[in-house]
Amino acid sequence: MLVVTTGVALLFLVLPIVAVFLRVPLSDLLSALGSSAALDAIRVTAETIAFAMVLILVFGTPAAYWISSRRGAVRDVVVTLVELPLVLPPAVAGIGLLVAFGRAGLLGGTVDALGIDIAFTKVAVILAVTFVASPFFVRTAVAAFEAVDPTLPAAARTLGAGPGRVFFRVMLPLAKGGLGAGAALAFARGLGEFGATIMFAGSLQGVTQTLSLAIYEQFDVDLNVALAISALLIVVSAVVLLSVKLMTRWHSGSGSLILSAPSSRQRN
Amino acid sequence: MRNRFAALFAIALVAASSLASSAGARRQANPLTIYAAASLTEVFSSFDRAQRYNFAGSNALETQIRNGAPADVFASAAPLNTQRLFQARMVDKPVTFTSNRLVLIVPRSNPAGIHSVYDLKRKPVKLVIAGAAVPVGGYTRTVLRKMGLTSVLSKVVSQESDVKAVTGKVALGQADAGFVYATDARPVRTQVSVIRIPAWAQPRIRYEIAVVSRSSHKAAARAWVKKILSPRGQRALRNAGFLPIPKASR
Repeated sequence: MLVVTTGVALLFLVLPIVAVFLRVPLSDLLSALGSSAALDAIRVTAETIAFAMVLILVFGTPAAYWISSRRGAVRDVVVTLVELPLVLPPAVAGIGLLVAFGRAGLLGGTVDALGIDIAFTKVAVILAVTFVASPFFVRTAVAAFEAVDPTLPAAARTLGAGPGRVFFRVMLPLAKGGLGAGAALAFARGLGEFGATIMFAGSLQGVTQTLSLAIYEQFDVDLNVALAISALLIVVSAVVLLSVKLMTRWHSGSGSLILSAPSSRQRN
Repeated sequence: MRNRFAALFAIALVAASSLASSAGARRQANPLTIYAAASLTEVFSSFDRAQRYNFAGSNALETQIRNGAPADVFASAAPLNTQRLFQARMVDKPVTFTSNRLVLIVPRSNPAGIHSVYDLKRKPVKLVIAGAAVPVGGYTRTVLRKMGLTSVLSKVVSQESDVKAVTGKVALGQADAGFVYATDARPVRTQVSVIRIPAWAQPRIRYEIAVVSRSSHKAAARAWVKKILSPRGQRALRNAGFLPIPKASR
């Protein structure tokens, strides 16, 4: 019975992925990847996700460290707020970003006064990607910091290391496997961002049209291009997932860090 | 453990099959599935609440029907989409059922100070239009060509997938201006100002409707198309701001 259900489930999950590669010959997929729509989308996606990842790592790492060192109600509230974008429908994220950072939004005037032009620019794409992807990093990073044996930073402190030194010389190196896994997950989520981007940043080839948006547009223009971009995203996502598995296995002997809640303290 | 999995699996199966059969039962009890251009959203859904609608860009709907979507009727904002499906024998012979005209809309606050279509060329502006494959996107390009304003296309900041997405971006004030049908400006008239496009620059806009060949309710679908062509249907369209069927194509 168990074998049958697992088989059915596996088939269901794998079939759509295999189908993308079987619809047209591989050579057609490769030549479709050379179309200007696909190449522009690759460039836009690479640029925006690179910026988004920098933002996520620079702001997310200290935040995760702070959260991992707290207990109680404040922590619970902060964790809930950080995780909210994770469960929100992308359409909600899109509307939220519009009414917050849109030109007629809450901060629209302020942003305008600063001379920053967000509407329909790559900045809008970066904001959308950062908003939806950062929880994946922060969650995993909190778990990674909590998985560090607490006697190690304590020992460092008794030996005279300041908080900064403890963070950079003890905590970061010890948590780097989990941090890497979190970054990879955030990257994978950001790569596929669609709903918030199309609502908040619009879609223009070469400017704001990321790979996911290009699939949507090419779907009824040139199906081969849509399939080719889909195949590319499948390959990249698979590589990312595999590397997450390897990273977590390598550093903590468990490949399930991805699914563990931030309060996975009991593991040590 | 094994037994519990089996039980869960059985429950899931039963639930799934009952869902499927109840959906099937509801379909038996009549509603037609109508695939219609986004610009028909308000008029169709208030004209006949009993049917099920899928509103989107006509080009997206064409692709969906081509890939076997379970539509009974297809109402397109351009003849191209219905005719292509007709040639592929996927819909019965399409008929023209209404017309429309294009307008330029700007947010009420009019941040870019656009007061005529020509201002699009003179002033810096964030212009939003629909993609070239979307009917309204095609009509937009025709207007710009007729007015000698194709250079304005370089000011386009986003190409949307249907007319409602264009309308929304302008109504929210995110974009400075956008080309939509006159009928799309109506529901958002408190948020936007309408700039008319001269009659000589208007494209020939024809909406076509057709029964989908594979529909399992063809008689009902044909009756529904008749209803749209009837005086009552035409009055509903007229009241929503649509234009009468152009004489030449009657």
